[in-house]
Formats: sequence, structure tokens, C-alpha cells
Amino acid sequence: MKINSRKTHDNLTAYLFLAPFLVVFFVFLAYPVVYSLVLSLHKVSWTTNLYNVFSDMKYVGVENYIKLLHDSKFWWSLIVTGYYAVLTIPMTVFLGLILAILLNNKLPGVSLFRSAYFLPSVLDILVVGIIWTLIYSPHFGILPKILDSMGFRAFIDKGILANPRTALPGVAIAMVLRGAGFGMILFLSAIQNIPVSVYEAADIDGANAWQKLIFITIPLVKPIILFLVIMGTIGSLNAFTEIYSMTQGGPYVVEFMGGIQGATKVSGYYLFEKWETMNYGYAAAVSYILLVITLGISLVNAKVMRKKH
Amino acid sequence: MDVAKIREKLNKTLLMMALILGALLMLFPFFWMLFVAVKAEGHGFKLDFVFAQPLFKNFTAVWTNESFPFSRFFINSLFVATSGSLMTALFCSMGAYVFAKKNFIFKETLFWMLLSTLMIPGMMYMVPQFAIVTKLGWINTYRGMIIPHVANIFGLFLLRQHMETIPDALISSAEIDGASEWQIFKNIIVPLSMPVITTVFLLSFLFQWTNFLWQLVVNTPDSLKLTLPVGLALFRGQYATQWTLLMAASAFSIIPIAVLFLALQRFFIEGLTAGAVKE
Repeated sequence: MKINSRKTHDNLTAYLFLAPFLVVFFVFLAYPVVYSLVLSLHKVSWTTNLYNVFSDMKYVGVENYIKLLHDSKFWWSLIVTGYYAVLTIPMTVFLGLILAILLNNKLPGVSLFRSAYFLPSVLDILVVGIIWTLIYSPHFGILPKILDSMGFRAFIDKGILANPRTALPGVAIAMVLRGAGFGMILFLSAIQNIPVSVYEAADIDGANAWQKLIFITIPLVKPIILFLVIMGTIGSLNAFTEIYSMTQGGPYVVEFMGGIQGATKVSGYYLFEKWETMNYGYAAAVSYILLVITLGISLVNAKVMRKKH
Repeated sequence: MDVAKIREKLNKTLLMMALILGALLMLFPFFWMLFVAVKAEGHGFKLDFVFAQPLFKNFTAVWTNESFPFSRFFINSLFVATSGSLMTALFCSMGAYVFAKKNFIFKETLFWMLLSTLMIPGMMYMVPQFAIVTKLGWINTYRGMIIPHVANIFGLFLLRQHMETIPDALISSAEIDGASEWQIFKNIIVPLSMPVITTVFLLSFLFQWTNFLWQLVVNTPDSLKLTLPVGLALFRGQYATQWTLLMAASAFSIIPIAVLFLALQRFFIEGLTAGAVKE
């Protein structure tokens, strides 16, 4: 009896402490996963009361999902998202690793450089995007001007972001330069954890710097690479703010599956547009498919990296 | 001097130059923003050195702009970020304490649920969270902006990891002295976890300060609760070509975070790297 009441008391205290966190968690993080599925089976009705949209949505079964299958804009947004991931992830990993290796030397002012490289990664994406829009602008943007004076005249009239070939790479470069410092910090702490004796042994065996990088450093920082790849994948599926602030999904000149598509319309931005136009049921269906894709990719990532290990 | 030494010196010089160039490149947008922000009207896109008179004219102009009051946006941002991260730090600490030190029913299940939710990209929450906030009548309110994001699972795990290292003996001796659970939490656990709590606070502050999408979704354009990024986005809609004003407005969002980061870098770095080291 006494043990039981003690147990009840413990449970009660524990849940009292957990209560604030759990209430928010269940209402805003756990329940939405289910609620999103419910919403995806509904549609905003034509006669809806604008102040009470979510209470009188019409049940339509899997109609939204069937429509999605034939939606060229949705498929295109997945392709753009994949392309964005391919543009950003390897560059972030590569640049982060290079910076970490450079900073791993004994040099004056190393901590200053570390701060300088890391600082951009905490800054507001929207603002960084706006600044880059200025840098990339036609006629007066500094980058097209520099390129023009070097003889690349293609960018002076349209800038970087109005050209369908360079728009997404332009966004990607801005975001990689912003985010590489984060990778650098992770690599740096991993590299500094590698015992010096490992490198000394390699020196005795006559390994050169390149061999040490390929056969010692990279295998030992593999968990960081996996982490950055997973974060980058989630980041690409989450990409919205950089597109909103730099291109709004455009330029709209690419032909795909019989429609004109936005060259930088990633799925996050497509989802936002569906929300903005009050297609809540459809937007929920898009979110759900993206969620399934994310979980699938994360699982595959984890498996592939484990095998190679 | 022998050849090897000269070579080493040369290598070091080259390395330094590469590092300086790299830093200039990565910080270039930041410098460019400041440069354009102090230029004279109409010179925002010219490569000249015609500056505003007085130098900070653009800053005062956006700060007191009547239809886009950046002073108001700034205060909103500050309020949302501060109260949001205070709540986050408190809720996460309380939750982390029982996860670290107590046994309770459904502990494993809850733990598993929290862990799996971490994998869900935030974008996927936009529609259902918007629906919930609409139903609660929280559109254009501070609570609508703040509360949905105060259950920071990553923060809870970070704190739990740290609190597990606090010796049980400290807790049981306080129990013997007749301290209540809340007293133990407040007088032993919190003081001993302060560095990690600071980290969680700062990371949430950063998150709330820069959380553009959610604040855009939860506010209508005429809302009085607009934060800096949302205000800036709307401001750009009207003043798209006034780069001097735009960059001055941008600086209001960027500079506080840059200062906060440079002053408290250690906490940021510890928090941000903790996720990867766990692997």
C-alpha cells in the first residue's frame, strides 16, 4: 500500500513537472501530425465562412492525393528540391571540411577566424537573402558588374537570379556561404578529437598530407558528414525563406510536363503558395507526402552510412 | 635560415592569406549591408562613396517610418524572442529534470515519441499549426507567435544529458533535509545547469528572432504584432528599389544577433555542436 502511494506520488510529481512542456508538445507537435492527415482528406468548401474555415471543411477522401499525382507543379518542385540539395549539401560539407582543416593549424588569430566563419550561420536567412539579392541585381549589383568587367557580359542585363540557369545556384551559393561555418565548427571539433599519435604513425609510414586526409581524417569525421547530409536534406525540404526573399520561385520560364514552371520553386515554397491561396486540404496533402519522403531519406541515409562504416 | 624553415614560413603566409580572403568572402554580405546602409539616397546601387548626411540618416528614417515602424517591430521581436526563450528554458529544464532523475509511467514511450518528432521538418507543421492557432483565435497575438514553439525537444535532450551527470546524492540529501521537489529543482538542479540553460535560452532566442515563416503565417499584414523579418518583407514590397533604407532596416535585425553571438559565442557553439557529437 505504502509503496503504491509512493509510486503514485512520484508519477504525479513527474507529470506536474512535465505538464507545461507536454501540453505544448501534444497540442502543437504531436497532434498536428495526425491533424495534418485529417486535413489532407478535406477541402475548403466554396461557401466557407472566412472566419471559421477549418470548422466547415468538406470531406473528400483521397481526392487531394490523386490530384497531387497529376500535378506537374508538385513533381517539378520535388525535382527543384533535389537539385537544391545536390547544390548545397556537397558544397557545405566540402567548404566546412576545408575551413576546418585550414583552421586546425597553429596560426595567430585562429579563434578570430573561427568566429568570422561561424558568424554568418546565425544570421537571419531572410535578411541574408535580401542582401544577396542586391549583390546579384542586374545593372547595379556588384557581382554582375564584376563579371561584366571580366568579360562575362551575360549577367549585366538580367542579373543572376532572373536567369533560369543561374537562379538556383545563386541561391545555393548564398546559403552555402552562410551555412558552411556551422559545418566547419563540427568538423573542427571532430578533427581535434583525433589523437595526434595516429598522424605520427602515418608520418613514420611516409604518408603525405593528401593520404592522411583521405585515409585518416575523412573516415574519422564520417559521422559529421552523415549529420550534415541529414541536416542538409531536411534543410532542403524545409527551404522556404531563402526562396521567398530572393526569387519568389521564379523565373517562370521552364517547361515541364506541359506547364511553365518556376526555376527555383522548391517544394517548401510550393507548399507555402498552396497555403497562401487557402488550399489548406491540398497543402496538408503536400506536407504529408513531403513528411514521408523526409523520413524515407533519413532512414536510407542512416543505413548507407552505417554500411560504409 | 635553411630551406625547410623558409618553406614553412611561406606556407604559413599563404595559409593566412587564404584564411583572410575566405573570411572577407563569407562576411562580405554583412559588410556590404553596412556600406549601403550609410550611403546617400539614390546611391544605394552606385559604386561610389557618397554617404548619407548625417551618416545614420537611413537608420533613423526606417526606425521612425510611419507605415512601417521599425522601432515597433524591434520591440515586438525583442518581446517575442525573450519571452519565448524564457518559457522554453523553463519548460525544458522542468521536463529534463524528471527525464534525468525520475522514473514514471510511460517514460520510455514519451521519450521515443519526442525523439521521433525531432525528424519532422518544421515546414510540415505550417498548415496544421495554422489551423490550430486559427481555431484557438490566436491570429495576430503574441501567444500565437510564441507558444507553439516553446516545446523545444532538442533543448530538453540537451538539458537531460547534462542533468544526468548531477550526483543523486545531492538530491537525496536535500530530500532528507525536507526539501520539496520544487525546491530541489530550483535550488540545486537549476543553478548547477545554468550554462546549459543559457545555451538553450540563446538558441531559442536565435530561433524566435529569425523565425520568419511562422510569424508571417500567424500575422495578417495589418497586425500590430509584426516582428522585424516580417516587417522587413512587407517594407520591401513598398520600397523595393530604396536599397539604402532596406539595408538600414536589415541591420536592425542582423546587428543584435551578431553582437549577442560574438559576446556569448561559447554557449552558441556548445549548443549547436551538441546535436552532432551525440551521434
